[in-house]
Amino acid sequence: MPKSKVVKREKPRERFSYDPTRVLTKLEEYGRRVLEDIKAGKNPYFDIPMRGLNNVYFDEKRRVIRMGDKLSRRYFLNVAHARKFMQTLLIMAYVKRLVSEGKHASLREAYYANKHTIPGTKENTFEDQRESDPIIEDLERMLGVLREEMHLTADRRGYIYGDIVIRDGEDEFNTSKLGMGGWAVPGTVEHLQFVEVNVDYALVVETAAMADRLIEEKFPKKENALIIATQGQASRGVRRLIHRLHYEEGLPIIVFTDGDPYGWYIYSTIKQGSINLAYLSDKLATPEAKFVGMTMDDIKRYGLENVTEKLKGIPPNKKGGPTGDYKRILEEMEYPWFQNKEWQRQLKMAVKMGVRIEQQALANKSLEFVAKKYLPEKINNGELLP
Amino acid sequence: MAEASQLFKEFKIQSVSEFFRRNAAMLGYTGKIRSLTTVVHEAVTNSLDACEEAGIPPYIRVEIEELGREHYKVIVEDNGPGIPEKYITHVFGKMLAGTKAHRNIQSRGQQGIGISGAVMFAQITSGKATRVITSTGGDKTIEAWVKIDVDKNEGKIVKKEKHPNPKGWRGTRIELEVKNVRYIRSKQGVYWYLKLTAIANPHAHIELIEPDGKLIVFPRSSDYIPEPPVEMKPHPRGVLTDDVYRMAKKTRRNTVKRFLVGEFSRISDKKIDELIEYIAALRLIKTEEDKNVQEQLYERLMKGEVKAVLRSFRGYTKVVKQVAKIMEKPPEKLTWHEAEEIVEAFKYMKFLAPPTHGLRPIGEENIEKGLKGILKPEFVTAVTRSPKVYSGGIPFQVEVGLAYGGEIPGGFELLRYANRVPLLFDAGSCVTTLAARSIDWKRYKVDDLDRAPVVLMINVISVHVPYTGTGKQSIANVEEIQNEIRLAIMDAARRLQTYLSGKHRKLYQVKRKKTFEKYVPEIARALSVLTGEEEDAVKSYFLAFIESRFAAKEGELNEVSENA
Repeated sequence: MPKSKVVKREKPRERFSYDPTRVLTKLEEYGRRVLEDIKAGKNPYFDIPMRGLNNVYFDEKRRVIRMGDKLSRRYFLNVAHARKFMQTLLIMAYVKRLVSEGKHASLREAYYANKHTIPGTKENTFEDQRESDPIIEDLERMLGVLREEMHLTADRRGYIYGDIVIRDGEDEFNTSKLGMGGWAVPGTVEHLQFVEVNVDYALVVETAAMADRLIEEKFPKKENALIIATQGQASRGVRRLIHRLHYEEGLPIIVFTDGDPYGWYIYSTIKQGSINLAYLSDKLATPEAKFVGMTMDDIKRYGLENVTEKLKGIPPNKKGGPTGDYKRILEEMEYPWFQNKEWQRQLKMAVKMGVRIEQQALANKSLEFVAKKYLPEKINNGELLP
Repeated sequence: MAEASQLFKEFKIQSVSEFFRRNAAMLGYTGKIRSLTTVVHEAVTNSLDACEEAGIPPYIRVEIEELGREHYKVIVEDNGPGIPEKYITHVFGKMLAGTKAHRNIQSRGQQGIGISGAVMFAQITSGKATRVITSTGGDKTIEAWVKIDVDKNEGKIVKKEKHPNPKGWRGTRIELEVKNVRYIRSKQGVYWYLKLTAIANPHAHIELIEPDGKLIVFPRSSDYIPEPPVEMKPHPRGVLTDDVYRMAKKTRRNTVKRFLVGEFSRISDKKIDELIEYIAALRLIKTEEDKNVQEQLYERLMKGEVKAVLRSFRGYTKVVKQVAKIMEKPPEKLTWHEAEEIVEAFKYMKFLAPPTHGLRPIGEENIEKGLKGILKPEFVTAVTRSPKVYSGGIPFQVEVGLAYGGEIPGGFELLRYANRVPLLFDAGSCVTTLAARSIDWKRYKVDDLDRAPVVLMINVISVHVPYTGTGKQSIANVEEIQNEIRLAIMDAARRLQTYLSGKHRKLYQVKRKKTFEKYVPEIARALSVLTGEEEDAVKSYFLAFIESRFAAKEGELNEVSENA
């Protein structure tokens, strides 16, 4: 039976656009404005888009979570603001040095590098990292610049495996030639260039165990796919990588998670973005991503009834409910992007059956089952959830 | 059984010195420290009174010289009017003699034992005569050694010399040698006494040379010399039977009526007619046998229904006429019983409040000067209340001073005065202490009174201060007096509160300003990295900006408080 490929590479829609001078220009521009204000006897301030649920909305047209236009103004001459105003400038100056010297620092390094006792006081510029991290987020929103573009990185998580060639600084490599472990996705992927992309689509896999299984079964080679392991909730680097591969390289994105509220939430974050990072949705979210599994239908279809697990918490029809998993599922049912027949059916079914199903449950059939039957069948038949 | 003559062998007339020895505590000569303070007190008080009466700004120098163990020489010198030669024995030698004791007048001392008591104390502890050097400013100074003839209660000049007075010096210097006393810088000692005296008498310059030669100066802080108190006629509500009886014996008036009108305040001819009716009514009420009826009649009398009470008795006009006769007889014929009746009637009658022109408060301005000059506080205020009356007829007046911060150490200090005289003993039972402690100081922003740098001075002025005991160191808890003290303290405390809240506001502003300033170096460094501008220049922009904003704010604050 000739394979009629449902999943194909598309035409690229974005170009590689990393430009460190843009960050520097913005930093200098903001610094100059403060200086002009103070010279003119005006109370200098920064306008920072507000974070949090109150300033977030779902953009129906582009189908991503976006940040609203509410601003909070951070003044120098305000007892409640002065410290944060100082901290903002400190981090700005630090970022300028990092970017202009072409160095990267982790969030923790950025914290330690800027922490010191203010002369003549017993006060530190930063008391702990919980003070510096939000300032960095503020800068991202204020400048409209990614943390990664400011050369500030988070802990890396996730890896990829597949026939693509990446240029990372002076190194160039094919991520299917680095052994079974693949290539670990760095904290920042802004500077990466994709030299060659010889795959048809990217399969985003929730657990490392499943990704390892697929690599061992040679799934990437056979199906011409790129495996992206998120290892739980996708890190910013992985999400950005997914976004770039989709928009710059036209790779379709298919997500493979556990059939439970957490897995569905991982999918939702990759697809629509998150509330926390709503301001970055344009760079992190991939609304065209599709979901392959696990679904509630899979249980019946593949006879997995005896490898399901009970949902945690109290169901909505019981006294005290809903709690735990049930509560989360009901919340997800309210998400605008799950407002379609297929997803509502899946979520309702989960509540009704009161079970969850893990990716690894497929091993109940056989170790090869997921790579040889489950995924190829579903993907090539286009049996994907929106 | 012993014969009477046997018993009377031991009978002796007690000499003044004997009395003095037995009753030393009454006069303030008790304890080694207090005795010395009392000697100084008597001399200084005399000097202050003399200067005031003569309108001279007092300049008083006290010197304590240690001659041996518990053996001192006390020297007090003033620039007062001096003592005329023939009065020297009277001033220093005779007890219960003075210019004030027999008059109804506000005074520092009260019985006139004062300085003669000190002379006596010196004499019975050291055996030495008191050396007095005085001049009224003429061409002679007189140097006299004075002793007291304890049997005759008379002053005796042991030796007297006259010296030329080429510089026209005027004043009095007395030197007393005392034993059995001790000089210590304690709260009952001379130092503390003089400090308190200086606060209450800012018009006086007071110096102290301590036994170790240390000179302490309490400088004059006011040019205003208080007017000497004037004599006031007693108010009918404030007298006892004995007062009336004795005054009647001494008066030069020729009828009881004229005596009462002339020698009491607030008694007019019309009041005498009223008095007659009241006495008559009281006599009649006493004839009533039914206790309940009697009680009712007393009550009606208290309400002023004297005429109705009289009319309820048959033949009352006869009694009224009898009483009226008392008023026409010569005062020296007034019997004790009649005096008693008059005083009893006074209690039922209504009189105008007593005159208060005889009271001499220190005055708010001078209290403030005194506290400021001696304690150097950062805040001071004073309240002098208008005169009030206690026990129905005794005028009194309360004033308080409140000093806060500055050189005042932490811990609440209460300075008590009666007629400007510092009270050093028995603080616990004094009405001033009770009143000060009954105030809820937290309401006035003094959170912990016992640690706060607060000095409160209270001066109670009256022609008759109700002391708790013969020591005259503690004022009795008379309700009217306590209320007045409380009101005065609260008034002063409110002003302190206003000051403190203003101060807190200012401190808050300073703190705010510092909050901004401390970040400036950090900001300047960062902005310098971002913009390339000189770090110091950025720093100065920020500091100037903060400065201008806070200057503007302070202006606003001042305006607000002025409008408020």
